[in-house]
Amino acid sequence: MSDVAKDKSQKREKRTGKVSSEGSHGVKGNTRTKDSISTVSCLTELGHHDENIRMTVTMENTYQMGPHKRFPVPAVTDILKDVLVSYLQEEKYEVEWSQKMTKTICEVIRARVKDLMIPRYKTVVLVHIGQLNGQSMQMSSRCLWDASNDTFASYSFKNSSLFGVATVYAVYYE
Amino acid sequence: MEEFHNGNEGSFNQEEVDNSIKECIESVVGGDDYSQSLVNKWTAGIVERCLTQLVKQGKPYKYIVTCAVMQKTGAGLHTANSCYWDTTMDGSCTVRWENRTMYCVVSVFAVAIA
Repeated sequence: MSDVAKDKSQKREKRTGKVSSEGSHGVKGNTRTKDSISTVSCLTELGHHDENIRMTVTMENTYQMGPHKRFPVPAVTDILKDVLVSYLQEEKYEVEWSQKMTKTICEVIRARVKDLMIPRYKTVVLVHIGQLNGQSMQMSSRCLWDASNDTFASYSFKNSSLFGVATVYAVYYE
Repeated sequence: MEEFHNGNEGSFNQEEVDNSIKECIESVVGGDDYSQSLVNKWTAGIVERCLTQLVKQGKPYKYIVTCAVMQKTGAGLHTANSCYWDTTMDGSCTVRWENRTMYCVVSVFAVAIA
């Protein structure tokens, strides 16, 4: 029971940065060795683990401090530029076409970023296509994340009748 | 780790987030008309409020909040998003709001920490 409380407080600290997650891994390591000492408690806890494994996947400790390979922002910006220009260069804004094109471009970008095979990064791709009608528009975003590991890439494109904006956010999975 | 992920805290509550975003938008741009000089302040304000509301929930998530405010001139806008993540733990929520002179689209993406 006290281990549960300790785990919970460790997990709350985890949100604020990498350092505390290291601490929580340490605690987990300790509970593991404790389990190996007293077999009786190990058995009962494993019972609970089996029920909960259906809901959440248990991961082994990796003791990894940070990402081995960082997210390549310039490469991804090039991908965004490439995709937007090739799909939108000579096109004119039309309602149904734009609807389909937004979804298509989104999926194409996600597939190409996945192909870069950057391990342990989750990605969110956002695409906006709009008509140019003399209107004014403002887009902004703010993120609560670990600034040393997580990042984003963005590109905007414009032609005579439409504009397109693509953004990729990359979040490191600890 | 398993004990921490009980049903209440382990997943993304879309409805609750939806409501809190609507409240944030209303409180910042509620009865105003589109204004080029103020729009920068509005988007920053909406995004900041949403983020602080989300953090108050105290869940183990990283958040990405985006806001787009557009003047109503009859022009069309399409938005799409595609995410590569863990579908059991992560989630997103998009809210569209409008008044007489402008549209506002706010998206929240929540990515679980371990």
